[in-house]
Amino acid sequence: MEREPPCPSATDGEIAAINLESARRRAWTRFAQDACLLGVAEAVVDQERLAAQFFSDLDALDRLEALAAQLALVDASSRAALVQAEVASTAHRFADARGHLSRATLMGARREEIERQSLSIDQACGVKLDAVLAARQQVAAASGRLEDLVPLGALLADLERFAEADAVYRQALFSYRDVSPFPLAWVCFQLGMLWGELVPVPDPKLAAFWYRRAIAYLPGYVKARVHLAEICASQDRPGDAEALLMPVLSSRDPEVRWRLADALIAQERFQEAETQLDAARSGFDELLQRHLLAFADHAAEFYAGSGNDFRRAVELARANVANRPTRRAVEQAQAIAVQVDEAAASRSVRSMQCAGGVSRRLAARCAAQHDQVIR
Amino acid sequence: MSDHVDGPRSIGDPPADITDLFAFTSPENPARTVLAMCVFPSAGESAVFSNVIDHKIAVRRVSVTGIGNAAKFQPADEEIRFTFRFELLDRDAAGKVIQRGTCVLPDGRTLSLTVNDGKGASTPEGDVRVFAGLRSDPFYLAWIAATLEKVPNLLQHDNVLCIVVEFDTRRVLDPEKGSLFGVIAETVPTEPPGRIGHPPARIDWIGRPEQTNVRLNNPALLGVDDIRDLWNQQTPFAISKELQPLFLQRLKDSFTNWDMRDGKADWTPEGLAANAKVFLDDFLLFDVAKPITDESHLEIEKSTIDGRPYQTGGGRTVDANSIDILFTWLINHDREFLLGGATGATKPGTKVFPYFATPNTELQTVAESVELEVAPDMVWSLIGQFDLMWHPNVAKVNLTGAGIGQLRRIETRDGREIVERLDVVDGAKRFYRYSLVAGVPASRYAGTIEVKPKGRGCVAEWRVEFLANNQPNSAVRTVVSTLVKTGLGSLKQRFAAAA
Repeated sequence: MEREPPCPSATDGEIAAINLESARRRAWTRFAQDACLLGVAEAVVDQERLAAQFFSDLDALDRLEALAAQLALVDASSRAALVQAEVASTAHRFADARGHLSRATLMGARREEIERQSLSIDQACGVKLDAVLAARQQVAAASGRLEDLVPLGALLADLERFAEADAVYRQALFSYRDVSPFPLAWVCFQLGMLWGELVPVPDPKLAAFWYRRAIAYLPGYVKARVHLAEICASQDRPGDAEALLMPVLSSRDPEVRWRLADALIAQERFQEAETQLDAARSGFDELLQRHLLAFADHAAEFYAGSGNDFRRAVELARANVANRPTRRAVEQAQAIAVQVDEAAASRSVRSMQCAGGVSRRLAARCAAQHDQVIR
Repeated sequence: MSDHVDGPRSIGDPPADITDLFAFTSPENPARTVLAMCVFPSAGESAVFSNVIDHKIAVRRVSVTGIGNAAKFQPADEEIRFTFRFELLDRDAAGKVIQRGTCVLPDGRTLSLTVNDGKGASTPEGDVRVFAGLRSDPFYLAWIAATLEKVPNLLQHDNVLCIVVEFDTRRVLDPEKGSLFGVIAETVPTEPPGRIGHPPARIDWIGRPEQTNVRLNNPALLGVDDIRDLWNQQTPFAISKELQPLFLQRLKDSFTNWDMRDGKADWTPEGLAANAKVFLDDFLLFDVAKPITDESHLEIEKSTIDGRPYQTGGGRTVDANSIDILFTWLINHDREFLLGGATGATKPGTKVFPYFATPNTELQTVAESVELEVAPDMVWSLIGQFDLMWHPNVAKVNLTGAGIGQLRRIETRDGREIVERLDVVDGAKRFYRYSLVAGVPASRYAGTIEVKPKGRGCVAEWRVEFLANNQPNSAVRTVVSTLVKTGLGSLKQRFAAAA
């Protein structure tokens, strides 16, 4: 992709991953020393969210919920309510998050902090989008910082203003003045999603370019590998897809197992694929038991496809719509309903065939929304 | 906090975030000088340096060109520079992560080093020795700066990544030409980012401690812009002429506020202005011809502003109480020493190279659980009893008191005596939390026992967190882990019949 300029250099991804884990553990130690110390719980939240976003650390949500519960026991100030709201948002429990924010407001939390979190929740739920856009544009124009530009880009993409979204993401990428690979990998991933899965006519070559850059920044970036593997699979390169997924099998993200199963099926390695599908199924089951709303959208796609459980897919898609009635969530539910009808008309092995087909774009859209909420 | 997390942008990559800078006479050899910079606030045990940052320590000779209200320290143009760069990670035969680096010396020689090698690396001539690696954070802050409330050290048990260079003072600094120096440290990207925009000259830099978090960003100045990132983008020894008035005014406002924190005006307006001008030229002053002690930090600046010749080598030792020295100067003009809520860092500095104490150990966690095919209440009715008599390793228990605060004195079958205190109990949620009073070589020891429903049965969880005290982590972990695993294992057998 010669026309793309070189990306900013950053700390090596392995070093950054080790340092994140180091800082995360240290933050927990500080929290154990004094949970009430200003900024300590917030640092844990930031680092756990990075671990979840980039390395699909599935235990991060459990740890965050334990943190919020512990903090609430010892800190009677609005801080605990704000942290609880942040944790609830991360787990897509948006109604709970709003409740915590209301409490925080009554307890005198800073207005800026309430507004920042409310904005993210409104965007994730697809409500008051005009107001959210105005606020995002204002914040991004004032600061010009990557962390303010990326949510604006995501919102513009949600509103199907794709060219503007692309421009904002690029502005974020090339205005970055630090050397952490996390923000840079995040922007590259968002650009991959934009061109691979959100625009009306996807450009898989361009999307793959951005996913590869995200992985170059952070080799352990699980979602970037999953999405690039999907592109490889769609281009009849299941071996490449498999090679991309193998290094992140240890992440325990069921989506890795699911996409690996698809790649194995394409290579007619059905027995191995069955093992991976079982692992994906039990992985989703376990996640849904603990954090239904956080994973309902992804799991719905799985059960509508390779997971081969349409009833469950419909239930999950409905739960997702009830939680956040965004246009994408509704589209996903409708697409799954269509699939259910088709399946009823023709009960065959076609469910295996459509594993990454019809539903992939929708799954990706939901993933995009998930990632922007995580931030 | 010194220079820890001193701007929204430096939160990006923690190894780029400078926390402190030191300059002192070698405790091992008075003919040698030690310069050191620290990065990565609250670094964990596995922290390593970034491979795309140059860590630079730069020294310039300085002259006193004015005293009293005209106090001024003028740096020379010539710079003596040590540049540290670190490589991608490598692994030894056992798979352990290794990071190597190099230090480019002022005369162009290169010295290779291995991170966390306590012996450091020396030039063949022995005139320069360097170290880089994890150490206990030497800084301590025991105040809430906005309210001046005394608190325990806010950085207790923290670690940082330290870079230390020790050299022959005469050979490197040539003090015959003048013995007063200013030193700064900076983190600079090794290569510029993309072609769009202007690459930053640096990410962070530091001269004297607390330029950013206390002086420029005085937390009691409400409604003012955070100008720390703008400051961090300035060139050390050459603050932008256009921006100097902005920074100077902020320092004046900040110092006026600090002066009135105790309700008394100890500074004249002229003195405040002189103070602001001196601190605007932000480099750490040290004089290699005079004694540098734990108390001499800022003495050069303070004496010169007060209109008298300075007596010490200033600088900053590992154990210097830099925050209290600064607060005392700003708040009451040295009328009365202000001591915060701590008298030292987690660990004091050492008298031998590399002079910074070994790192603090991490909080250890032992967490085990067992799934049981019986109702949670049934399990809780047994293990929810604080007496622990259900545990097969427990020979005898004496309880003292009742409810929160109750003590249990446990005698184990292998003769160990452990005393623990009940801190929290919630029967409805089926959990209790306790802490150690005595009997295990650990501090901050806290345990939780909890029973959660799962399917038609339940999960019993036991979690213990601790810091090992003067013992290897593994030794204490074995004691705790045996206790936890044996206890939960016994539940499996006990409730198998009831399932």
